[in-house]
Amino acid sequence: MAFFGLFEDKSIDDYVDKLPEKNITVRALKALDFVAPGEWENITDFDELMRKVTNDTDESFLADVRKKSIEIYEDKSEGYQKAFKIYQRVDSSDKLFGTAALADKLAGKMSLLKFLDRLTPSADTTQTIDLTVKLVSELLAYVKLNGIPGDGIGDFAAALGEYSKESKIRIAALVAFDGLVPLGPDFIDKCGDQVQKLTEGGLEENATFRRIKGFIPSGFGSVEFVKNAFDAASGKLSDFASNSALSRESVVGKLQQFIEVSDDKLDYLGAFLDMTTNYFEHTGLQTVATRVIERAANEA
Amino acid sequence: MNRNLLIWSSALLLLVIACGSGEPLVIKGDKFNDIFPADRDGFTVTVTTEKKGFAQATLKKGEEEMATFAISDLNGDTEAIEKFKASTEQVSGYPIIPRGDSGTAALVGNRFQVQVRSLSGTISESDRKDWLFRFQLDDLAGF
Repeated sequence: MAFFGLFEDKSIDDYVDKLPEKNITVRALKALDFVAPGEWENITDFDELMRKVTNDTDESFLADVRKKSIEIYEDKSEGYQKAFKIYQRVDSSDKLFGTAALADKLAGKMSLLKFLDRLTPSADTTQTIDLTVKLVSELLAYVKLNGIPGDGIGDFAAALGEYSKESKIRIAALVAFDGLVPLGPDFIDKCGDQVQKLTEGGLEENATFRRIKGFIPSGFGSVEFVKNAFDAASGKLSDFASNSALSRESVVGKLQQFIEVSDDKLDYLGAFLDMTTNYFEHTGLQTVATRVIERAANEA
Repeated sequence: MNRNLLIWSSALLLLVIACGSGEPLVIKGDKFNDIFPADRDGFTVTVTTEKKGFAQATLKKGEEEMATFAISDLNGDTEAIEKFKASTEQVSGYPIIPRGDSGTAALVGNRFQVQVRSLSGTISESDRKDWLFRFQLDDLAGF
Protein backbone atom coordinates (compact mmCIF):
# COMPACT_ATOMS: atom_id res chain seq x y z
CA MET A 1 0.00 0.00 0.00
CA ALA A 2 1.44 3.28 -0.99
CA PHE A 3 2.04 5.31 2.10
CA PHE A 4 -0.61 7.95 2.43
CA GLY A 5 -0.57 8.37 -1.34
CA LEU A 6 2.78 10.13 -1.24
CA PHE A 7 4.61 7.64 -3.36
CA GLU A 8 4.06 7.74 -7.06
CA ASP A 9 6.74 7.34 -9.72
CA LYS A 10 9.50 9.59 -8.47
CA SER A 11 13.24 9.57 -8.42
CA ILE A 12 14.99 7.93 -5.49
CA ASP A 13 16.14 11.25 -4.02
CA ASP A 14 12.57 12.58 -4.11
CA TYR A 15 11.27 9.51 -2.33
CA VAL A 16 13.80 9.88 0.47
CA ASP A 17 13.30 13.64 0.79
CA LYS A 18 9.55 13.10 1.23
CA LEU A 19 9.83 10.49 3.98
CA PRO A 20 8.03 11.68 7.11
CA GLU A 21 10.24 12.92 9.94
CA LYS A 22 7.65 12.27 12.58
CA ASN A 23 4.49 10.21 12.42
CA ILE A 24 3.07 7.15 14.15
CA THR A 25 5.43 4.82 12.27
CA VAL A 26 8.48 6.80 13.33
CA ARG A 27 7.32 7.00 16.95
CA ALA A 28 6.59 3.27 17.04
CA LEU A 29 10.02 2.46 15.58
CA LYS A 30 11.75 4.85 17.99
CA ALA A 31 10.01 2.97 20.79
CA LEU A 32 12.10 -0.05 19.73
CA ASP A 33 15.38 1.81 20.08
CA PHE A 34 16.10 -0.12 23.29
CA VAL A 35 16.49 -3.26 21.16
CA ALA A 36 19.42 -1.78 19.25
CA PRO A 37 20.33 1.57 20.78
CA GLY A 38 21.25 4.21 18.19
CA GLU A 39 21.18 1.65 15.39
CA TRP A 40 18.46 3.39 13.40
CA GLU A 41 18.44 7.07 12.54
CA ASN A 42 15.39 8.27 10.68
CA ILE A 43 17.22 9.90 7.76
CA THR A 44 14.73 11.74 5.55
CA ASP A 45 17.19 13.72 3.46
CA PHE A 46 18.90 12.14 0.46
CA ASP A 47 21.94 14.36 0.75
CA GLU A 48 22.47 13.39 4.39
CA LEU A 49 21.97 9.72 3.52
CA MET A 50 24.58 9.98 0.73
CA ARG A 51 27.13 11.45 3.15
CA LYS A 52 26.50 8.73 5.72
CA VAL A 53 26.59 5.86 3.26
CA THR A 54 29.59 7.01 1.23
CA ASN A 55 31.60 8.29 4.20
CA ASP A 56 32.48 11.18 1.86
CA THR A 57 32.32 14.98 1.89
CA ASP A 58 33.72 15.75 -1.58
CA GLU A 59 30.93 17.82 -3.17
CA SER A 60 31.81 17.09 -6.77
CA PHE A 61 31.98 13.34 -6.07
CA LEU A 62 28.66 13.48 -4.18
CA ALA A 63 27.07 15.22 -7.18
CA ASP A 64 28.25 12.29 -9.34
CA VAL A 65 26.84 9.83 -6.78
CA ARG A 66 23.45 11.55 -6.79
CA LYS A 67 23.28 11.49 -10.60
CA LYS A 68 24.34 7.85 -10.72
CA SER A 69 21.89 6.87 -7.94
CA ILE A 70 18.99 8.31 -9.93
CA GLU A 71 20.10 6.43 -13.07
CA ILE A 72 20.53 3.14 -11.24
CA TYR A 73 17.15 3.35 -9.52
CA GLU A 74 15.40 4.30 -12.76
CA ASP A 75 16.73 1.24 -14.59
CA LYS A 76 13.85 -1.19 -14.04
CA SER A 77 16.03 -4.19 -14.85
CA GLU A 78 18.18 -3.53 -11.78
CA GLY A 79 15.53 -4.69 -9.33
CA TYR A 80 15.68 -1.72 -6.92
CA GLN A 81 12.22 -0.50 -7.93
CA LYS A 82 10.84 -4.00 -7.47
CA ALA A 83 12.38 -4.24 -4.00
CA PHE A 84 10.69 -0.97 -3.03
CA LYS A 85 7.36 -2.18 -4.48
CA ILE A 86 7.58 -5.29 -2.30
CA TYR A 87 8.18 -3.19 0.81
CA GLN A 88 5.26 -0.93 -0.14
CA ARG A 89 2.88 -3.78 -0.70
CA VAL A 90 3.53 -5.49 2.63
CA ASP A 91 2.00 -2.69 4.67
CA SER A 92 -1.74 -2.29 4.92
CA SER A 93 -1.92 1.02 6.74
CA ASP A 94 -4.97 3.20 6.23
CA LYS A 95 -4.38 6.90 5.58
CA LEU A 96 -7.63 8.21 7.00
CA PHE A 97 -7.37 6.06 10.08
CA GLY A 98 -3.82 7.18 10.75
CA THR A 99 -4.79 10.84 10.41
CA ALA A 100 -7.78 10.40 12.72
CA ALA A 101 -5.66 8.62 15.34
CA LEU A 102 -3.06 11.38 15.27
CA ALA A 103 -5.71 14.09 15.53
CA ASP A 104 -7.19 12.53 18.60
CA LYS A 105 -4.36 12.96 21.02
CA LEU A 106 -5.18 12.96 24.69
CA ALA A 107 -2.58 14.66 26.88
CA GLY A 108 0.12 13.99 24.31
CA LYS A 109 -0.97 10.41 23.79
CA MET A 110 -3.16 8.86 21.15
CA SER A 111 -6.13 7.10 22.58
CA LEU A 112 -6.90 3.71 21.21
CA LEU A 113 -10.22 3.45 23.05
CA LYS A 114 -12.02 5.80 20.68
CA PHE A 115 -11.19 3.58 17.74
CA LEU A 116 -12.14 0.22 19.19
CA ASP A 117 -15.22 -0.06 16.98
CA ARG A 118 -13.04 0.40 13.91
CA LEU A 119 -10.40 -2.13 14.94
CA THR A 120 -10.69 -5.86 14.53
CA PRO A 121 -7.92 -7.90 16.12
CA SER A 122 -6.78 -10.56 13.64
CA ALA A 123 -7.48 -14.18 14.45
CA ASP A 124 -4.22 -15.98 15.32
CA THR A 125 -4.37 -17.97 12.09
CA THR A 126 -4.52 -14.78 10.00
CA GLN A 127 -1.81 -13.06 12.04
CA THR A 128 0.58 -16.03 11.81
CA ILE A 129 0.24 -16.13 8.03
CA ASP A 130 0.64 -12.34 7.91
CA LEU A 131 3.90 -12.50 9.82
CA THR A 132 5.16 -15.39 7.71
CA VAL A 133 4.30 -13.58 4.49
CA LYS A 134 6.08 -10.45 5.75
CA LEU A 135 9.19 -12.53 6.43
CA VAL A 136 8.95 -13.97 2.92
CA SER A 137 8.56 -10.44 1.54
CA GLU A 138 11.76 -9.38 3.28
CA LEU A 139 13.46 -12.32 1.58
CA LEU A 140 12.04 -11.35 -1.83
CA ALA A 141 13.23 -7.76 -1.43
CA TYR A 142 16.65 -9.00 -0.29
CA VAL A 143 16.97 -11.10 -3.43
CA LYS A 144 16.03 -8.15 -5.65
CA LEU A 145 18.51 -5.86 -3.89
CA ASN A 146 21.44 -8.24 -4.00
CA GLY A 147 20.81 -10.06 -7.27
CA ILE A 148 21.21 -13.44 -5.61
CA PRO A 149 20.49 -16.25 -8.11
CA GLY A 150 17.92 -19.00 -7.42
CA ASP A 151 15.54 -18.80 -4.47
CA GLY A 152 18.05 -16.90 -2.30
CA ILE A 153 16.74 -18.59 0.85
CA GLY A 154 20.10 -19.77 2.21
CA ASP A 155 21.83 -16.43 1.59
CA PHE A 156 18.94 -14.54 3.17
CA ALA A 157 18.88 -16.69 6.29
CA ALA A 158 22.61 -16.12 6.73
CA ALA A 159 22.33 -12.37 6.11
CA LEU A 160 19.37 -11.91 8.49
CA GLY A 161 21.62 -12.43 11.48
CA GLU A 162 23.86 -9.58 10.28
CA TYR A 163 21.16 -7.01 9.56
CA SER A 164 22.00 -3.53 10.84
CA LYS A 165 20.60 0.00 10.95
CA GLU A 166 17.17 0.46 9.36
CA SER A 167 17.04 -3.22 8.31
CA LYS A 168 17.60 -4.31 11.90
CA ILE A 169 14.86 -2.03 13.22
CA ARG A 170 12.49 -3.38 10.54
CA ILE A 171 13.09 -6.93 11.75
CA ALA A 172 12.72 -5.77 15.36
CA ALA A 173 9.35 -4.27 14.38
CA LEU A 174 8.33 -7.49 12.63
CA VAL A 175 9.11 -9.47 15.77
CA ALA A 176 7.54 -6.89 18.11
CA PHE A 177 4.49 -5.53 16.26
CA ASP A 178 3.55 -8.58 14.20
CA GLY A 179 4.84 -11.29 16.54
CA LEU A 180 5.02 -10.53 20.24
CA VAL A 181 2.20 -7.96 20.54
CA PRO A 182 -0.57 -9.85 18.72
CA LEU A 183 0.60 -13.46 19.26
CA GLY A 184 2.65 -13.52 22.45
CA PRO A 185 6.07 -14.99 23.30
CA ASP A 186 5.51 -18.29 21.44
CA PHE A 187 4.78 -16.51 18.16
CA ILE A 188 7.37 -18.50 16.21
CA ASP A 189 5.86 -21.83 17.29
CA LYS A 190 2.40 -20.57 16.40
CA CYS A 191 3.63 -19.56 12.94
CA GLY A 192 5.46 -22.87 12.53
CA ASP A 193 2.29 -24.85 13.32
CA GLN A 194 0.33 -22.81 10.81
CA VAL A 195 3.03 -23.02 8.13
CA GLN A 196 3.05 -26.83 8.38
CA LYS A 197 -0.69 -26.84 7.62
CA LEU A 198 -0.40 -24.28 4.85
CA THR A 199 -2.36 -24.84 1.63
CA GLU A 200 -2.49 -22.91 -1.63
CA GLY A 201 -6.08 -21.89 -0.79
CA GLY A 202 -5.11 -20.70 2.69
CA LEU A 203 -2.33 -18.56 1.28
CA GLU A 204 -4.61 -17.08 -1.36
CA GLU A 205 -7.04 -15.97 1.35
CA ASN A 206 -4.32 -13.79 2.86
CA ALA A 207 -4.48 -10.24 1.48
CA THR A 208 -0.77 -9.53 2.06
CA PHE A 209 0.19 -12.68 0.21
CA ARG A 210 -1.99 -11.78 -2.77
CA ARG A 211 -0.17 -8.46 -3.04
CA ILE A 212 3.33 -9.94 -3.11
CA LYS A 213 2.89 -13.36 -4.72
CA GLY A 214 3.88 -12.05 -8.15
CA PHE A 215 7.42 -11.55 -6.84
CA ILE A 216 8.01 -15.22 -5.96
CA PRO A 217 10.62 -16.51 -8.45
CA SER A 218 9.16 -18.60 -11.24
CA GLY A 219 9.55 -22.33 -10.94
CA PHE A 220 8.68 -22.43 -7.22
CA GLY A 221 5.27 -23.39 -5.84
CA SER A 222 3.96 -20.76 -3.41
CA VAL A 223 3.39 -23.13 -0.49
CA GLU A 224 6.76 -24.81 -0.95
CA PHE A 225 8.54 -21.46 -1.22
CA VAL A 226 6.87 -20.01 1.89
CA LYS A 227 7.55 -23.20 3.88
CA ASN A 228 11.21 -23.34 2.86
CA ALA A 229 11.73 -19.65 3.58
CA PHE A 230 10.10 -19.93 7.00
CA ASP A 231 12.03 -23.08 7.92
CA ALA A 232 15.35 -21.45 6.96
CA ALA A 233 14.78 -18.03 8.53
CA SER A 234 12.49 -18.55 11.54
CA GLY A 235 15.39 -19.65 13.77
CA LYS A 236 17.10 -16.31 13.14
CA LEU A 237 13.89 -14.47 14.02
CA SER A 238 13.60 -16.41 17.22
CA ASP A 239 17.29 -15.74 18.08
CA PHE A 240 16.66 -12.08 17.40
CA ALA A 241 13.82 -11.98 19.94
CA SER A 242 15.76 -13.83 22.61
CA ASN A 243 19.04 -11.93 22.13
CA SER A 244 17.55 -8.46 22.15
CA ALA A 245 15.57 -8.12 25.38
CA LEU A 246 12.39 -8.04 23.30
CA SER A 247 9.34 -9.24 25.18
CA ARG A 248 5.65 -8.50 24.91
CA GLU A 249 5.81 -6.56 28.19
CA SER A 250 8.83 -4.46 27.16
CA VAL A 251 7.32 -3.56 23.79
CA VAL A 252 3.85 -2.79 25.16
CA GLY A 253 5.41 -0.68 27.94
CA LYS A 254 7.28 1.45 25.41
CA LEU A 255 4.23 1.83 23.15
CA GLN A 256 2.05 2.84 26.09
CA GLN A 257 4.26 5.90 26.47
CA PHE A 258 2.50 7.41 23.47
CA ILE A 259 -0.55 5.24 22.88
CA GLU A 260 -3.24 5.22 25.57
CA VAL A 261 -4.41 1.63 25.89
CA SER A 262 -5.58 -0.26 28.94
CA ASP A 263 -4.19 -3.69 29.67
CA ASP A 264 -7.52 -5.38 29.00
CA LYS A 265 -7.59 -3.94 25.49
CA LEU A 266 -4.12 -5.02 24.39
CA ASP A 267 -5.67 -7.32 21.80
CA TYR A 268 -6.46 -4.21 19.83
CA LEU A 269 -2.94 -2.81 19.90
CA GLY A 270 -1.67 -5.08 17.11
CA ALA A 271 -4.59 -4.08 14.90
CA PHE A 272 -4.00 -0.40 15.72
CA LEU A 273 -0.32 -0.64 14.71
CA ASP A 274 -1.29 -2.49 11.57
CA MET A 275 -3.71 0.29 10.57
CA THR A 276 -1.50 3.24 11.51
CA THR A 277 2.06 2.26 10.65
CA ASN A 278 3.90 1.45 7.43
CA TYR A 279 7.22 0.45 8.90
CA PHE A 280 8.10 -1.93 6.05
CA GLU A 281 7.62 0.80 3.46
CA HIS A 282 9.36 3.50 5.51
CA THR A 283 12.49 1.57 6.48
CA GLY A 284 12.36 -0.44 3.24
CA LEU A 285 12.80 2.75 1.24
CA GLN A 286 15.76 3.68 3.44
CA THR A 287 17.28 0.24 2.75
CA VAL A 288 16.72 0.50 -1.02
CA ALA A 289 18.18 4.03 -1.12
CA THR A 290 21.20 2.94 0.94
CA ARG A 291 21.91 0.08 -1.44
CA VAL A 292 21.47 2.29 -4.50
CA ILE A 293 23.84 4.92 -3.05
CA GLU A 294 26.46 2.28 -2.13
CA ARG A 295 26.40 1.02 -5.65
CA ALA A 296 26.40 4.49 -7.21
CA ALA A 297 29.45 5.48 -5.12
CA ASN A 298 31.25 2.38 -6.34
CA GLU A 299 30.33 2.95 -9.96
CA ALA A 300 30.69 6.74 -10.04
CA MET B 1 25.99 -24.46 -50.69
CA ASN B 2 28.12 -21.73 -52.16
CA ARG B 3 30.91 -20.90 -49.66
CA ASN B 4 30.25 -17.13 -49.79
CA LEU B 5 26.57 -17.68 -49.23
CA LEU B 6 27.40 -19.82 -46.20
CA ILE B 7 29.61 -17.10 -44.74
CA TRP B 8 27.00 -14.41 -45.34
CA SER B 9 24.18 -16.48 -43.86
CA SER B 10 26.31 -17.25 -40.79
CA ALA B 11 27.08 -13.56 -40.39
CA LEU B 12 23.40 -12.72 -40.76
CA LEU B 13 22.48 -15.35 -38.17
CA LEU B 14 25.00 -13.90 -35.68
CA LEU B 15 23.62 -10.43 -36.32
CA VAL B 16 20.07 -11.63 -35.65
CA ILE B 17 21.18 -13.33 -32.41
CA ALA B 18 23.06 -10.23 -31.30
CA CYS B 19 20.12 -7.95 -32.05
CA GLY B 20 17.65 -10.39 -30.54
CA SER B 21 19.30 -10.18 -27.13
CA GLY B 22 18.39 -6.49 -27.15
CA GLU B 23 21.13 -5.42 -24.74
CA PRO B 24 24.91 -5.16 -24.64
CA LEU B 25 26.90 -8.17 -23.54
CA VAL B 26 27.44 -7.16 -19.93
CA ILE B 27 29.27 -9.63 -17.75
CA LYS B 28 27.27 -11.23 -14.93
CA GLY B 29 28.27 -10.26 -11.40
CA ASP B 30 29.00 -13.81 -10.24
CA LYS B 31 31.85 -14.03 -12.77
CA PHE B 32 33.70 -11.44 -10.68
CA ASN B 33 33.76 -13.47 -7.46
CA ASP B 34 37.25 -14.88 -8.02
CA ILE B 35 38.65 -11.45 -8.79
CA PHE B 36 38.17 -10.11 -5.25
CA PRO B 37 41.12 -10.37 -2.83
CA ALA B 38 41.31 -13.35 -0.51
CA ASP B 39 40.90 -13.09 3.29
CA ARG B 40 44.11 -12.11 5.07
CA ASP B 41 45.50 -10.86 8.39
CA GLY B 42 42.18 -11.13 10.21
CA PHE B 43 40.29 -9.36 7.41
CA THR B 44 37.44 -11.21 5.70
CA VAL B 45 36.03 -10.49 2.27
CA THR B 46 32.36 -11.38 1.67
CA VAL B 47 30.62 -10.91 -1.66
CA THR B 48 27.26 -9.23 -0.97
CA THR B 49 25.95 -8.24 -4.40
CA GLU B 50 26.05 -10.01 -7.74
CA LYS B 51 24.21 -8.08 -10.39
CA LYS B 52 24.52 -7.79 -14.15
CA GLY B 53 27.84 -6.03 -14.70
CA PHE B 54 28.41 -5.34 -11.01
CA ALA B 55 29.63 -7.14 -7.92
CA GLN B 56 30.28 -5.78 -4.45
CA ALA B 57 32.02 -7.24 -1.43
CA THR B 58 32.46 -6.08 2.15
CA LEU B 59 35.80 -6.11 3.95
CA LYS B 60 35.38 -6.82 7.65
CA LYS B 61 37.69 -7.10 10.59
CA GLY B 62 35.79 -9.02 13.24
CA GLU B 63 32.29 -7.55 13.20
CA GLU B 64 33.36 -4.13 11.93
CA GLU B 65 32.85 -3.17 8.28
CA MET B 66 36.12 -1.59 7.15
CA ALA B 67 35.67 -1.07 3.39
CA THR B 68 33.66 -1.99 0.32
CA PHE B 69 35.15 -3.54 -2.78
CA ALA B 70 33.38 -3.27 -6.13
CA ILE B 71 33.88 -4.30 -9.73
CA SER B 72 31.77 -2.63 -12.43
CA ASP B 73 31.61 -3.40 -16.12
CA LEU B 74 31.73 0.08 -17.70
CA ASN B 75 30.93 -1.55 -21.01
CA GLY B 76 31.52 1.35 -23.33
CA ASP B 77 30.48 4.17 -20.97
CA THR B 78 32.97 6.63 -22.42
CA GLU B 79 32.39 9.28 -19.75
CA ALA B 80 33.20 6.76 -17.02
CA ILE B 81 36.33 5.59 -18.85
CA GLU B 82 37.48 9.14 -19.72
CA LYS B 83 37.78 10.17 -16.09
CA PHE B 84 40.82 7.91 -15.75
CA LYS B 85 42.69 10.17 -18.18
CA ALA B 86 43.42 12.34 -15.13
CA SER B 87 45.29 9.44 -13.54
CA THR B 88 48.86 10.07 -12.45
CA GLU B 89 49.44 6.74 -10.67
CA GLN B 90 49.13 3.06 -11.39
CA VAL B 91 48.55 -0.16 -9.47
CA SER B 92 49.87 -3.30 -11.20
CA GLY B 93 50.10 -1.23 -14.37
CA TYR B 94 46.46 -0.04 -14.29
CA PRO B 95 45.61 3.67 -13.92
CA ILE B 96 44.10 4.71 -10.61
CA ILE B 97 42.26 7.86 -9.50
CA PRO B 98 40.74 9.05 -6.23
CA ARG B 99 36.92 8.93 -6.04
CA GLY B 100 35.85 11.44 -3.43
CA ASP B 101 37.89 11.45 -0.28
CA SER B 102 37.15 7.84 0.70
CA GLY B 103 37.60 5.94 -2.54
CA THR B 104 40.31 4.80 -4.94
CA ALA B 105 39.40 3.33 -8.32
CA ALA B 106 41.37 1.49 -11.01
CA LEU B 107 40.53 1.12 -14.69
CA VAL B 108 41.26 -2.43 -15.83
CA GLY B 109 41.42 -3.54 -19.46
CA ASN B 110 39.92 -0.18 -20.46
CA ARG B 111 36.56 -1.67 -19.47
CA PHE B 112 36.24 -2.49 -15.77
CA GLN B 113 36.27 -0.11 -12.82
CA VAL B 114 37.54 -1.61 -9.57
CA GLN B 115 36.99 0.52 -6.51
CA VAL B 116 37.94 0.28 -2.85
CA ARG B 117 36.04 2.62 -0.50
CA SER B 118 36.94 3.12 3.15
CA LEU B 119 34.10 2.81 5.63
CA SER B 120 36.44 3.23 8.56
CA GLY B 121 39.03 5.92 9.16
CA THR B 122 41.61 3.21 9.78
CA ILE B 123 41.66 2.27 6.07
CA SER B 124 43.91 4.92 4.54
CA GLU B 125 44.52 5.79 0.91
CA SER B 126 47.66 3.63 0.88
CA ASP B 127 45.65 0.73 2.38
CA ARG B 128 43.16 1.15 -0.46
CA LYS B 129 45.97 0.93 -3.03
CA ASP B 130 47.31 -2.13 -1.26
CA TRP B 131 43.89 -3.83 -1.41
CA LEU B 132 43.55 -2.88 -5.10
CA PHE B 133 46.88 -4.61 -5.70
CA ARG B 134 45.42 -7.78 -4.15
CA PHE B 135 42.57 -8.07 -6.68
CA GLN B 136 43.20 -10.50 -9.55
CA LEU B 137 43.40 -7.52 -11.91
CA ASP B 138 45.17 -9.35 -14.75
CA ASP B 139 42.50 -12.06 -14.76
CA LEU B 140 39.85 -9.34 -14.94
CA ALA B 141 41.64 -7.67 -17.85
CA GLY B 142 41.50 -11.01 -19.66
CA PHE B 143 37.67 -11.26 -19.51
